[in-house]
Amino acid sequence: MVGWCKTPSPAPKEASVKVSMFEQVPYRYMPDGFENHNSSVVTAPYQVVDPARMTESLFSAYAELLHGARAGFDGIFVTEHSQSSYDISPNPTLLASAVACAARSEGLDVAIGVLGRSLGKTREPLKIAEEYALLDCLSGGRLIAGFPVGLSYDANLNASIPAVETRERYREHRELILRAWSATEPFPWNGRFEKYGQVNVWPRPIQQPSPPVWIPGTGSPGTLRDILQNDYVFVYLSWDGPKLTGREVFDRYWDLAEEMGRDRNPYRLAFLQVVAVSETDERAEQEYAHHLQAHYRSGLGAIPGSAFAVAGYAEPAAIEGMLRGGGPEGMLGRMKTATFKELVDSQVAIVGSPATVADQIQAFVREFRIGNLLVMLQNGSMPRDLTEKNVSLFTEQVLPRLRPIWDDEGWTNHWWPRGSQAATEVVAGAAASGAEA
Amino acid sequence: MTTSAIAVREETLEIWDGRLKLRVKVAGDGPPVLFFHPLPGLAWHPLLDLLAQEHTVYAPEHPGTSPGDPKAIEQVQTFTELLLVYEEAVRALGLDRPAVVGQSFGGMVAADLAATFPALPSRLVLLAPIGLWRDDAPIPLMEMVAGPPEDLPGYLFAHPDSAAARATLALPEDPDLMVKAIAQSAWNTGCTTKFAWPIADHGLGRRLHRVAVPTLVVWGREDALVPVAYAREFGDRIAGSRVEVLDDCGHVVQVDQPELTWAVMNEFLAG
Repeated sequence: MVGWCKTPSPAPKEASVKVSMFEQVPYRYMPDGFENHNSSVVTAPYQVVDPARMTESLFSAYAELLHGARAGFDGIFVTEHSQSSYDISPNPTLLASAVACAARSEGLDVAIGVLGRSLGKTREPLKIAEEYALLDCLSGGRLIAGFPVGLSYDANLNASIPAVETRERYREHRELILRAWSATEPFPWNGRFEKYGQVNVWPRPIQQPSPPVWIPGTGSPGTLRDILQNDYVFVYLSWDGPKLTGREVFDRYWDLAEEMGRDRNPYRLAFLQVVAVSETDERAEQEYAHHLQAHYRSGLGAIPGSAFAVAGYAEPAAIEGMLRGGGPEGMLGRMKTATFKELVDSQVAIVGSPATVADQIQAFVREFRIGNLLVMLQNGSMPRDLTEKNVSLFTEQVLPRLRPIWDDEGWTNHWWPRGSQAATEVVAGAAASGAEA
Repeated sequence: MTTSAIAVREETLEIWDGRLKLRVKVAGDGPPVLFFHPLPGLAWHPLLDLLAQEHTVYAPEHPGTSPGDPKAIEQVQTFTELLLVYEEAVRALGLDRPAVVGQSFGGMVAADLAATFPALPSRLVLLAPIGLWRDDAPIPLMEMVAGPPEDLPGYLFAHPDSAAARATLALPEDPDLMVKAIAQSAWNTGCTTKFAWPIADHGLGRRLHRVAVPTLVVWGREDALVPVAYAREFGDRIAGSRVEVLDDCGHVVQVDQPELTWAVMNEFLAG
């Protein structure tokens, strides 16, 4: 059993740019023009699905993530969306746990990131505390804990949480989970939303008092302030096109960091970028253009605008800010008709040869001070062989050029899992004795 | 009907152990009428002017919906607390057995206030209230609130393109005021739907038998939000109530059928 018995040893946590693979779990056979008559969320008609193709779509996501773990990514990330055709991941800890087990048994030193169980959406916050803790144990102390508020359509329509309560629930649930992870004694919790007589979760995270907390968001000042106040990591995503909105959001983050007395450590910031690599720029466009365009039209493009902010999700001042604009208009609002050229020009997606892709990523990582990079290499109808080609080319020819970007500044990444040598050795020992039996 | 506005003043009640500054619009002179507004907040419409000709109208603004005080909604955690807040408000205003009128969301508030505190009102008028649920007559409240704005008039009016319907939903022309109005209306709807989401059924159907005062139920036959089947549901549960179903009329009865609505209400309140 080659691989199974490999002696794993966590790599030294030198401060280098951490590059992780993120994947959504789309149904890969969405009909052409779906977005013209349907929503991709909440009411997305399941009649478009062929069950065998659903199985294939789900399994391919797992296989590709494992391929990424083997190919040398620092972390593997998934996230949560319910009642959606573009990310069929109602509980991301399921998929994360399968990857974590496989990675452990193969001795791969890879972080497991869950960008979010939505804390504003959940009605069972202790389940999240338990599942994240279990993942941290399974992965040998390699979990990154994402704590998103949750998208409005998911929290307020799918889970039917009253929109004005979303953020109140988020605050209570985060406080409860963090306390449950490090409590030494069972404790009662008399919250506004949750009441428990004896909080005593099993297991607890190996990483104490908590795995690193990362918070994805759209970059509203309130969220950024909360992240910096608590010394978490802000995760921004490329959906709006960093060429359009990056400057405003990242400047706001670093300005706020300075105002709040935080240092300019680039590892305070994570960014998720869609990337498609091929041998040449021309081949990349030939191979990926139609997949990308179709995916963003039928996925994010088919979420009704009103479902992004159900009445009550944002306070009056925030809605006024959105309506007045003033800032740059991102791509999210016009995904339904987005062309491949627009996706590339706005940098929603970076597409090209390894050199082209590395140049572009290096430039914005430096410009915006990004220490943790997540790349999304599968989109919509992309088949598994093409995705795995993308993974291989990226890890072999792009990733090595990204790692040293911050070497000259000498920062420490306090927000990367520390890993547990002891837990790692225990797994290796169990594997070895199992193989002998 | 007259549309000339009667002078409207505002009272602020410090209630709920000092945690709420509840704003109440007050107009007219005469026996008290307490009016509870629908989902998007209080709009002073012509029906309130008519009521104010022979009554003193008290129209509270649902917590959180008063401009400048959005966080007030956090002080009211449950629908039961909302009813207690309004019972306190009635005492703070010094009202002795007001007639209670409520529309849509406000109708649910009015009906449950009368069921929870049977001695509080003198009469009860329910204009197409939410608050009950039948599986064979679903109320598309979530679809309306979270749906495209252009679909809204179709839920509210029998004739969405009528001048009256358009005037009801008209936004200020001034761009700054328009932005403020849209933002306020969305937040207001968030504050009211807190107690109506996703299904506005707090068990009112099991309490309506407690309503002990003359009750008028008014419904539009073409109501596309709360189907007219609910008129009978309310009527059957409230002993001695009178149900008026108006033809060619949608959810907002006083916009689609202003004269008829006022005629039945006026007669009932005078009776």
